[in-house]
Amino acid sequence: MNYHPLPQPDEIGVREREDAMGAYFMMFATAALGLPLPILNLVAAIIYYFVNRSRGRFVQFHTLQSLYSQLPVTLLNLGLVVWIITNLVKEYTFTEVFWGYVVMVAVANLVYLIFSIVGAVQARKGYFYYFLFFGKVAYAQVYRVREEKDAGPRVNQPPKI
Amino acid sequence: MRTSIIRDLVILLVVFGCIWGIISFFPVFPEKVELLSVEKEQELGGKYLEMLMKDPGFTVVESEEVRAAIEAIGLRLENALEDSEYEYNYVVVEDQMINAFTLPGANILVTTGLIGFAGSAEELAAVIAHEMAHVEKRHVVARLVKELGIAVLTSGDQFVVGEVTRIMASTGFDRGQEQDADAFACALLEDAQIEPRTLATFFRKLKEEQDNPLLEKFEIVSTHPNFTSRIRYVLEYVPDEDFEAVPLEMEWEDLQGEVKDQE
Repeated sequence: MNYHPLPQPDEIGVREREDAMGAYFMMFATAALGLPLPILNLVAAIIYYFVNRSRGRFVQFHTLQSLYSQLPVTLLNLGLVVWIITNLVKEYTFTEVFWGYVVMVAVANLVYLIFSIVGAVQARKGYFYYFLFFGKVAYAQVYRVREEKDAGPRVNQPPKI
Repeated sequence: MRTSIIRDLVILLVVFGCIWGIISFFPVFPEKVELLSVEKEQELGGKYLEMLMKDPGFTVVESEEVRAAIEAIGLRLENALEDSEYEYNYVVVEDQMINAFTLPGANILVTTGLIGFAGSAEELAAVIAHEMAHVEKRHVVARLVKELGIAVLTSGDQFVVGEVTRIMASTGFDRGQEQDADAFACALLEDAQIEPRTLATFFRKLKEEQDNPLLEKFEIVSTHPNFTSRIRYVLEYVPDEDFEAVPLEMEWEDLQGEVKDQE
């Protein structure tokens, strides 16, 4: 599998760096909005990705890494909100399994927060910073050479006989 | 690359799964009694009592006279309670053991053995006031949550009912809770215009029976330790100067006879 070469910091413009950094900070800006309904964060992240994906692979990588890493955190937060509402409405008790989930979600949010800050700082400096799992997935998606897409304009071919 | 991605994913799943699992199975947050609302406790207590009534080894005294007498005592105390969220229910059970205990939801169970042993309606009122204290202070739920956990307690399982009854009937509260309940009971008895130190009289009678060869009959003795210090503690309670006891109007000996006839 082939990958496009990675740009070095001196090849990345300030605008690209700021857009890449914005992908991480934008999440914090929408966090307050998304607290009651965490899925709103995700919608904002998806919009940001589609708006900025055309601004070069460096921006696309950081935006995608931020989006992917936010996906599980959002789903975990959403699960917590649903669990709390269900317990309150149906008068279920808050069991130890629930509190275990709360701690796990808190840790996930904390890890996400720390990694996002580091990712934003590194992006502003023009560096790549790979999150566990999500960094590799984002890199593979953005930098993998797709023959059909990266081979230039489509040319007509004779039928295979 | 694919292997590396899968490995990372497995690491994330294992780490976060372990955090959830460890906290769930080795709780760092002890379950709080506040997590079980009074409404839920009452609902649960009703179910428990209903199931207990169906138990063939558990016989409730059906006599209207006995029931009316216990309810009259209970009502006097309830009227003195301020802002109670509970609706009390009293059940007299046929049992030679001298005992009174409380199931969740303010269901106070009194044995015929206790009625036969108590020297007056006021002594029984003192015991019921003590049980009410455990209800109001939520000691009952706290102990059950500690022993069984909220999930088991709220399961409504028939087998859990047996275990709840066993815990409440045969194991005691801790010393602090007992002292707390004694203090509450004294204040409640005073408010209900019943001599608070009647509780000490009852304890003394129990203590005197401790050396009795019939000790095994005295369940309440084995579960309520340190009678000497508790008698002293109750006697230290001094009612207000203007306190005036109003006797409970009932023929106590007749009631005891009625209970004996039921056995």
